[in-house]
Amino acid sequence: MTEGDIDEGVADYAKSPRFSEAEKIALRYSELMALNPDRIDAAFYDELRRHYAEEEIVELGAFIGFNIGYHTFFGTLKFYPMFAPDGRLVSQEESARIYGAAPASLAGASK
Amino acid sequence: MPHIEPLTADEIRDPELQDLIRRGEALGVPDALFSRILARAPTLAKAVLHAMLHSHAEGNVDHRLKEIIRVQLARTAGDPYFGGLRSARALQAGLDESRIAAGSARFEDDPSFTAAEKWALRYAREMYLNPERIDAAFYAEGKRHYTEAQIMELGAFIAFHYGMQAFARTLGARPLAKGVG
Repeated sequence: MTEGDIDEGVADYAKSPRFSEAEKIALRYSELMALNPDRIDAAFYDELRRHYAEEEIVELGAFIGFNIGYHTFFGTLKFYPMFAPDGRLVSQEESARIYGAAPASLAGASK
Repeated sequence: MPHIEPLTADEIRDPELQDLIRRGEALGVPDALFSRILARAPTLAKAVLHAMLHSHAEGNVDHRLKEIIRVQLARTAGDPYFGGLRSARALQAGLDESRIAAGSARFEDDPSFTAAEKWALRYAREMYLNPERIDAAFYAEGKRHYTEAQIMELGAFIAFHYGMQAFARTLGARPLAKGVG
């Protein structure tokens, strides 16, 4: 997986040839649960079942819910990754400068 | 019927999972419905139910306050399933519906809540409605009422339950009627 895959999976997955139909509906599940939960209805779950077993749908749903809950909590704590993209252990102040005030693409960051 | 059908009790054979489901039923949160939906992914179900029960019913923050917060969060998430459940333990300890409702209303002006309780209720409300308001000054105020361990306990409880409510909302689940399941 590359940073390009991640960026496209966040921003433009619906039109992207990088993702299968199964991957696209999983990405849509995540997007809608966070932003438009009313659009996740019986028909949406039927569509999920065309690509995933019920066990996998439950796994995805709980994983997405967990992340919706925790990312907001972590955001209030104002902490940043311990390591820079090049693997260096950095101070929280430097990490804040590297990663910024909001989640951003890491494409082009030094490895 | 929820969009994912729950397993029946007979389909769940793992003793650890059965015990967690019983603990949820005894507490009242979650009832067997959510647990049996989760049970379709049994390893995940055990981790989720452990975290759900531990964060809600154990720790060093008043369980009744957590129950008020949990219902407030369900209303924020628009989830009638978790919003319709009640902790039997909290009710036995004296929590009633009027106090639960007050925790989702203008609690800042309600003299029946302490300053510590009001901070915790604001923490939950702002977390998902106005997270930018939870800043260093907000945490500094929290530390006047709670230890850092209690603040982490509250924050993790809020995040976990809100996340599961966001998931439950999409399932179209509703609480089981008493005596069902």
